[in-house]
Amino acid sequence: MRRIDRLKNRLTTAGRRLRRIARIARWELGQSTSSYNRRTLAVVAVLVVIVGSVGASAVALGVASPAPNTDIYRIGVADNSPYNAVIEDNAALTARQPDRTALATGEIDLLVGGVRQPVAGPGPRSPTLLVEAADGEKGAAALTAFRSAVQSYNDRAMALEPNQTAAYPVVVELQYLPQSTLGPAAPTDAGDLANTDETTSGSGGDDTGADSNNTNTTEPTANGTDSEPGSDGGSDTTDSNADAPPVGDGGGGSLLDRALFAGGTSGSPAEIQPPFPFGSLLLAFLFLVPMNFVIQSYGSSVLNERISRRGELLLVAPIERLDIVAGKTLPYAAIAVAVTVGIAAAIGGGALSVFAVVPIALTFLAATFLGAMFARSFKELTFVTITITVFLTSYVFIPSIFTNVTPIALISPLTLVVMELQGEAVGLGSYLFSTAPFYLSSGVLFLLGTGVYREEDMFTQKPVPLKFLDALDARLDGVASVGLLTALFLPFVFIAELLAIAVLFVLPIEVSIPLLLVVIAAVEEVAKSIHIFAGFESDRFERSVSTALLLGAASGIGFFIAEKFTAVAQLVGLPDLQLGQAALQPAGIGIAPSTTLLLLAGPLVLHTVTAGVGALGARKSFRWYLLALVAATAIHAAYNLGVVTLYG
Amino acid sequence: MDSRDQLRDRWHALVDQISDQRLTIAGRELRVLGREKTIILAIVIQLFVAAFSGFLVVGLVSLYDPGSVEGYQIDAAVTGEATNEMLAAIEDRPAMEGTRYGTTSDAYADFQDGAVNAVFQTTRTDGRIEVVMTAPDGSIETTLVVSEGQEALRALERNLRADRAGSLSNPPLPLPPDTGGNPYYDFTYTILLPLLVFLPVFISGSITVDSLTAESEQGTLELLRVAPVTMVDIVDGKSAAMVAIAPLQAVAWLGLLSLNGVAVANVAALAALVTAVTAIVVALAVAVSLLAPDRRSAQLLFSVGVLLFFAGATLLPGGPANTAARLAIDSATAMTWLSVGVYGVIGVAAIAAVRRLAERINPNNL
Repeated sequence: MRRIDRLKNRLTTAGRRLRRIARIARWELGQSTSSYNRRTLAVVAVLVVIVGSVGASAVALGVASPAPNTDIYRIGVADNSPYNAVIEDNAALTARQPDRTALATGEIDLLVGGVRQPVAGPGPRSPTLLVEAADGEKGAAALTAFRSAVQSYNDRAMALEPNQTAAYPVVVELQYLPQSTLGPAAPTDAGDLANTDETTSGSGGDDTGADSNNTNTTEPTANGTDSEPGSDGGSDTTDSNADAPPVGDGGGGSLLDRALFAGGTSGSPAEIQPPFPFGSLLLAFLFLVPMNFVIQSYGSSVLNERISRRGELLLVAPIERLDIVAGKTLPYAAIAVAVTVGIAAAIGGGALSVFAVVPIALTFLAATFLGAMFARSFKELTFVTITITVFLTSYVFIPSIFTNVTPIALISPLTLVVMELQGEAVGLGSYLFSTAPFYLSSGVLFLLGTGVYREEDMFTQKPVPLKFLDALDARLDGVASVGLLTALFLPFVFIAELLAIAVLFVLPIEVSIPLLLVVIAAVEEVAKSIHIFAGFESDRFERSVSTALLLGAASGIGFFIAEKFTAVAQLVGLPDLQLGQAALQPAGIGIAPSTTLLLLAGPLVLHTVTAGVGALGARKSFRWYLLALVAATAIHAAYNLGVVTLYG
Repeated sequence: MDSRDQLRDRWHALVDQISDQRLTIAGRELRVLGREKTIILAIVIQLFVAAFSGFLVVGLVSLYDPGSVEGYQIDAAVTGEATNEMLAAIEDRPAMEGTRYGTTSDAYADFQDGAVNAVFQTTRTDGRIEVVMTAPDGSIETTLVVSEGQEALRALERNLRADRAGSLSNPPLPLPPDTGGNPYYDFTYTILLPLLVFLPVFISGSITVDSLTAESEQGTLELLRVAPVTMVDIVDGKSAAMVAIAPLQAVAWLGLLSLNGVAVANVAALAALVTAVTAIVVALAVAVSLLAPDRRSAQLLFSVGVLLFFAGATLLPGGPANTAARLAIDSATAMTWLSVGVYGVIGVAAIAAVRRLAERINPNNL
């Protein structure tokens, strides 16, 4: 009976807390919607209508040029050349008078000459267009862009040919097979290709459409691509290609041309695509746009409470701080989740997309919360918000560009979205690897922010670094808590190290590995000692040598234990990468179990020693702390280098 | 001596003329920014984006442009009925080397051992050539192999189309040779550079909103009643400071890009463009903060307004992003220069308009 009573008690308490959180959430929601009054929303609506109608009329008048690369390459071409139509179709190209001196002075980037017919012997078997490019990178890039424009122009012209066999003499099927493994014999039946050959997927870049060809009626003789609706022959599939809605003038950039919408694996050579998920990437980016509006509103609300001191009323109410924060955050988290679900439904993403984006949204909110707790004014908050936006957006977006290329891409949960949109399977290990740091760090950020959600920090004007130390100190309580806090920092250490791998990825391996080892050592040493410094500064700990060594040992042990969780990186094959090895090996990950006990104990000794060095410095003053950090980093980096050269 | 005193008097008169309240306000705005160390945050953002964009550009180029990977050679096995045609097409591609294989199983065996990177298996059906192209699964080379293989297949297609030109009503236009220019060359100029150059513009406008609404919400504007400054002076001072810092940041960016080996042309014109656009955006920020009831509404209106301004301006010929790109890549035309001028005129007009607005606003009602 007693146990049941206790359970009941607990349930009622939990229920009460939940009701309180819900009440605060409702209050927050009501407050923020009332501040966006009807007039503001009406003005927003009017603005949208005005810009929409101006844009629509610009498009209707045909003067719209949405492509940012409009007319960047200038091509010298004769007035009667058939290539004028190509240039007109492609937004990035613009026609100029063919003038050789203009090429020399840099007024044009490419000069179109005559056509050379194929000759016997080595060399191309089809006619070649002779061109002269201006010196330098731009001339070469202009030639490449022009070449790909001619190619897609030809593709569009061929789609209108009555004789489809002559127009598409080659049919390709692309397949991917693993190398260096003893798989089943490769499939060789090309016989069924005949059935699949014309299921054209209308790859995006080529869709600039037959419509634009019709505008060339002023030059009927030059290229003669004016299409007759009846000339499509019997093939239905090419029909759908020709009828596809034109994408406007902007489709023809060299970037878009080559890369929009990956995944074509059969059809004519123009239709197979290298696995570059440009379309999926653009869609994945959509998830990030609304977050900025949500955090702007959230940050304002938190800071407003501090500046207008309205938060004081909440603090004196018999409610726990965590509940206040949860209640204030709930509406914004709910909005973020709702928007994410809406976007996922709109672009065809599934549950995985939502579950991958939610941790990103939480991190956005958590970072904004802490930023709003630290900021002294709205101006400062604006900078903090922009920093968060830029940092998180690039951290999640840029790696996902390399989705199909390298496992580093998985440091971003957005990669999971791209993979899902492409129809690839995602394992639980990959999901954990890319989202766990986000879940954990948003939790830690909220925890730190809640620690300073108290009167002496909320309503005083302290510089941000001091507030930060306060936030750390608020979480300290005895020696064991030092180790715990170190362990909690691990997600940030992990994120910082992965970021370092991503940034140093482009450097040659001889430079990047030593640099990476030093960066990693520095990051880990800061994580192990910054809160110890905070504790000493607030006089929480006695500034004696023995206390410092004790705290250092606690911190080192905490780090050693938490570090073992980075083993999750193994699940996605990051250690296969040379840089990944350098980052993870010193932690004892990816090392065969046969290695000696000494090596397994090595990290423990290392972390306690270096944390002790850091703590000894932190005991005295900030300057001494910095010096001790440098020393600890040097020891740590030397150890890392030793391990990597020994086992690398 | 007389002349010296006269000179000094004139100097003082000049200083009095120059150092009016507006400059004081502008200077104070900038000092506050410096004291809050927020400018440091802005610089950190810039460096971070620069580091990551370097990763992006170099990564893209080395992964998708085989020409940039020195000495990289793709070995391809060719088998089947149309081996001759396929080999001739591969000959056109300098980064690819084709080898004739007698049997398909030999080719796949070598592929699995990693001796060749790709297999082209050809068959003739109904006057067409069918090719099964095999590329390595999930390796860094995959993209390279597929894009090079695609080029070879397109060469094959071109050759066959040339042979059958008689059956085509409009034979395809001959292509220029492939010299391996960087297909992502324009990315830096058309996406990255406008992004970097116009980010400070947005920051400036956002700070203007914060700065003005903070005054009205904290009630400090009431002090105007006793101070010898007018609302117009405050608007002038604050906007001058914000309009001044955006082009400085933008030029710093361009310097960073130049250090990265990206040649940027027309820097002065770009700075002028950024200044003009900042003037427009800051004018919008001032108008919004004077008219909106509170800070949150002002920020919302400002964000939406700026988004719409850039979206709308991009749709028109000579949009800010395209104008910046054409200036930087050195493809400016008379039209581009005209656009810069038009932005300048709009900027001046916008500032003049918000000054009139500030004159008519009663600071006590804010």
